[in-house]
Amino acid sequence: MIRDFSIVLENMDRLLVGLMNTVLLSTTGIFLSLLIGVAFAAALMSENRVVVRPTRALVDTMRCIPFLLLAYLVYYALPSLGLNFDNWTSGLVAIVIYNAGYMAEILRGVWAQLPRESIDAGSAFGFYGRNLYLRIILPQVVLAAIPMIGNQSIQVIKDTAFLMIIAVPELTHAASSIQSKYYVPFAAFISAVALYWAMCSVIEAGVRRVERIAQVRR
Amino acid sequence: MTDAADRDEDGLPTLRVLGLTKTFGDNIVLDGVSLSVSKGKTVCVLGPSGSGKSTLLRCVNWLERPDQGAIFLGSTRVGFRNAGGGILMTARELAQVRARMGMVFQHFNLWPHLTVLENIIEAPMHVLRRPREKAVHTAETLLKRVGLIDKRNDFPSRLSGGQKQRVGIARALAMEPEVLLFDEPTSALDPETVGEVIAVMRTLSAEGRTMLVVTHEMQFARETANEIVFIDRGRIVEKSAPQLFFASPQTERARQFLQRYSVR
Amino acid sequence: MGAGVLKGGEWAIRRTGGSVIPAMTSADFISLLQGAAVTVALSLAGIVIGVPLGLSLAILLWRRVPLAQLIVKTYVSLIRATPLVTLGLLIYFALPAIGLQIGPVTAAILTLAINTTAFNCEIWRAGLTDFPKDQIESAQAFGMSWPHTFRRIMLPQVARTCLPALVNEMTLLLKGSPAIAVVGIVDVTRAAVRIGANTYEPLPPFLLATALYAAIVFVFVRAQRWLEGSSKAR
Repeated sequence: MIRDFSIVLENMDRLLVGLMNTVLLSTTGIFLSLLIGVAFAAALMSENRVVVRPTRALVDTMRCIPFLLLAYLVYYALPSLGLNFDNWTSGLVAIVIYNAGYMAEILRGVWAQLPRESIDAGSAFGFYGRNLYLRIILPQVVLAAIPMIGNQSIQVIKDTAFLMIIAVPELTHAASSIQSKYYVPFAAFISAVALYWAMCSVIEAGVRRVERIAQVRR
Repeated sequence: MTDAADRDEDGLPTLRVLGLTKTFGDNIVLDGVSLSVSKGKTVCVLGPSGSGKSTLLRCVNWLERPDQGAIFLGSTRVGFRNAGGGILMTARELAQVRARMGMVFQHFNLWPHLTVLENIIEAPMHVLRRPREKAVHTAETLLKRVGLIDKRNDFPSRLSGGQKQRVGIARALAMEPEVLLFDEPTSALDPETVGEVIAVMRTLSAEGRTMLVVTHEMQFARETANEIVFIDRGRIVEKSAPQLFFASPQTERARQFLQRYSVR
Repeated sequence: MGAGVLKGGEWAIRRTGGSVIPAMTSADFISLLQGAAVTVALSLAGIVIGVPLGLSLAILLWRRVPLAQLIVKTYVSLIRATPLVTLGLLIYFALPAIGLQIGPVTAAILTLAINTTAFNCEIWRAGLTDFPKDQIESAQAFGMSWPHTFRRIMLPQVARTCLPALVNEMTLLLKGSPAIAVVGIVDVTRAAVRIGANTYEPLPPFLLATALYAAIVFVFVRAQRWLEGSSKAR
C-alpha cells in the first residue's frame, strides 16, 4: 500500500494537471453561470410573460435532467445542429448552462424573500430598472445567497468528474489513467478523493469568510 | 388658508393632492383626500391607526398607485406625462419626479449593504449623477448636522434606531428635494431616541423646509406645524391651524382622538 | 435526404449519400426503457439502503455517541465532497485489490448507497436537532422510555419535516445515477449514447432519455405530495 502511494506521488504531476483542469473548469463555470444566472433571475422576476416563460422552462429543465445527459447533448447532439465543440469546451458549456439554471433559481428564491423596504427606498429615491437591480437589489441578494452559491459551487466541482466519461483530462480521469497504468486503484482514487475534499474545504472556508463580511451588511 | 407670501415662484404650492382615492379590494383606504403644502411650510397629518395616513404618503411618490385623484409636484403631475392624466409616465420620468421628493420611512429603509456615508451619497451619485467629491462633501456636512459624522463608515446594522433615522433624514436631504415626506418617522423608535429625531425635524422646519409629516407626535405637531390635517377612515375630517385644532377641535371625531392622545 | 415518417413505432430508414444508416428502431426504444428500469431499480436500491442508514448515523451523532462522532463526521464530510464517478471507480477497482470481488451491479448499488447515506445523514441530523426539546421533556416526564419516545413522538414528526429534503436528495441521486456507467452498468443515459452512436442521430434518444428522467422525477415529486397529504390527514 505504501508502495502504491509512492507510485502515485511519482506521478503527482499528472494528478496535478488533472486538478488544475478541474479547478479551471469549475471556477470558470461557476463564474459564468453566476453571471448568466443574474440575468436569468431578473428575467424570472420580470412582469413580462414573454420573458418569464422561456426562462422558467429552461431553468426547470436544467433541474430535471442529469448533468451528464446535458454534457452528452452538447458534445454529441449539437454538431448535428452545426455547433461543434471539443470535449473540454462541451464540458464547460454544459456546466455553464446547467448551473445558470440553478444559480438563477437560488437568486430568485432569495430575491423573493428579501424585505421590500430597501427596494422601496431605492424606488423612492429615483432608482429604477437596471440601476435599481444592479445597485440596490442584486448586492443584497448575492450577500444573502452566499451559502447556497457555495453549495452549488461544490456541486459544480463534483459534476466535472462526469466529464471524464467524454475524456476530459480532469482529476478523476488523471487518477483513472494512473490507476490503469500502474494498477494502484486504492492509492490513486483515494488521492483524488483527498484533493476533491481539499477543494470543497477551500470553498467552505471561503463561504465562512464571506459570511462574516456579509453579516454586518444585512 | 395660504396667502400670497407663501406661494412658490410660479404661484403654485410645492405639493398638491387633489381628490385622492385608493381602494385595496373592498377596503376604501383613501376617499377624496385633498391637501396642499406651500413652500417652506410644514403640514402634519394626524389620525388614528388604519386611517390611511401612510397610504397617502406612499401615493404621493407613486409607491402606491392611486385609483382616482391627482398629485402635483409644482406643475408636474406625478405619475402622468400630462396634467390631464391620460398618459402614464415612463419609469424614467417617474424616477425623475421621485428624485425631487425626499422620503423618510418609518422603518428607516436604509440600504444594509452600504455604510452610512455610502447610503447618503448613493442616490445623489447614481440618480442625480453628481460627482463623488461633491456628494461626499454634502454627505459629510449633513452628517455633522445630524450629529453622526463619527459613524460615517459604520454599517446600518451597527446603529440604533434613532441613529438610523437620522441617517435616513440626511439621506433624504442629500437629494436637495423640493419637499420632504415623513412617514411616521418616530413610530418605530424607542421613547429615548424619539427626541433626537424630533430635534432634527424641528430644525429642518425652522429652516424653512417644505415638509409633509405623517406622525403620532402631538407635541411636535402642535409646536412645529403650519397646518394640521386630521384624517379618519380615509377622509379628511378637519384641516386647520394647530392652535385651533388642539385647543378647540371642531368635530366630535377629532375631539375623541385628542382625548386619547392627550398632549402633555 | 428526407427523413422517414413515423410508422407504428418505427422510424423509417433514412438515406444519406446513398448508404443506408439505421434510424431508431423499436428495439432501441425498448433498450431505452430497459435502461430506465435499471436506473430506477438501482437508484431505489440506493435509496432503500441510504434513508434508514442515514437515519441511524444521524441518531448516533445526535445522541453524541463518543467514537461514532468522529467516524461519522469524517465519513459524511469526505463522501459529500466526492463525486459519484470517483467513488464508483474507487469501489469497483479498489475493492477487488484488497480481495473483495464484486460485480458491476453490486458496485453500483454500493456507490449510490454510500453516497446517499452521507447526504441523508445530514438531512436527518438537521431534523433531529431542530426538533423542539419540550416535547421530549414532556414525554420523559410521563415516564416514556427513550426508544418509545423516539418511535412514537419524534420519528413521525421529524420524518414529516425532513420529507421535502429527503425527496430532493432522492431526485439528486437519480440525476447522479448516470455515474454508474463507469462501473459497466448500462443505464438509460448510456443506452441513449449507444443508440445515438449507432444511428448517427443522437438527438432523438437523448430527448427520449430526458423525457424518461423527467417522468421519473415527476413520479417522485408526486409520491412526496401523496405522502405529505396522507400524513396531514392525522
